[in-house]
Amino acid sequence: MPTRTVAVGSASGLHARPAKLFVEAAAAAPVKVTIRVGDRKPVPAKSMLSVLALGAKQGTEVTLEADGDGADEALDGLAALLARDLDAEETSDV
Amino acid sequence: MSELLERRAIRLAEKAADRDEAIRRCGETLVEVGAVEPGYVDTMLARERSISTYVGEGVAIPHGTLGGKELVKRDALAVLRFPEGVDWGGEPVTLCVGIAAAGDGHVELLAALAEILLDEDQARELREATDPGTVIRLLGKIQEDSE
Repeated sequence: MPTRTVAVGSASGLHARPAKLFVEAAAAAPVKVTIRVGDRKPVPAKSMLSVLALGAKQGTEVTLEADGDGADEALDGLAALLARDLDAEETSDV
Repeated sequence: MSELLERRAIRLAEKAADRDEAIRRCGETLVEVGAVEPGYVDTMLARERSISTYVGEGVAIPHGTLGGKELVKRDALAVLRFPEGVDWGGEPVTLCVGIAAAGDGHVELLAALAEILLDEDQARELREATDPGTVIRLLGKIQEDSE
């Protein structure tokens, strides 16, 4: 199954606004994507509560997994989003 | 835990006509417990206009923008319950967890909150809590479990 492991880039970690942006992108993906930290249980990437419950901070490595048509493209996009500092981009869209 | 969430920052019989008023009540509570400067409240409203802080299960987690961090005196949470509900962009919200955070010290507590909300029974208990002790017990218990 295609996977991507990436360190969270957002200064405040994967919660609040960065989590929301990630969850929205995951929900829009054509395939079902899961996210996990280390060996913990994979959870649905489109579930805000599941993503918040990961407790991922800046620098925490998370692993994305998906299967099916378009999985690689979807994972590339989501991994790139996670790697960015979404907090630093905030001023551009307030 | 006790430093982040004080009993006096738990208010379970609040009323708000709309989302903005609910956010102001959360912000004012954080001001009253000495966690933030009054200006922080406006950054909470700005954040909400940028992106909704609704997380699911009738719960929202209003907090300031990155620019509001300099108005944070210490990390703290406020738990406000609106028994009559507040329309949150189409979602009914009964519980708001207002957040004041200068760093990432509150991420564990947010993760604990999310764990509670993923459990149907505990989510209901938290939403329907009328005693601050219940809120402290629910949020505190998982905090201890995760350590």
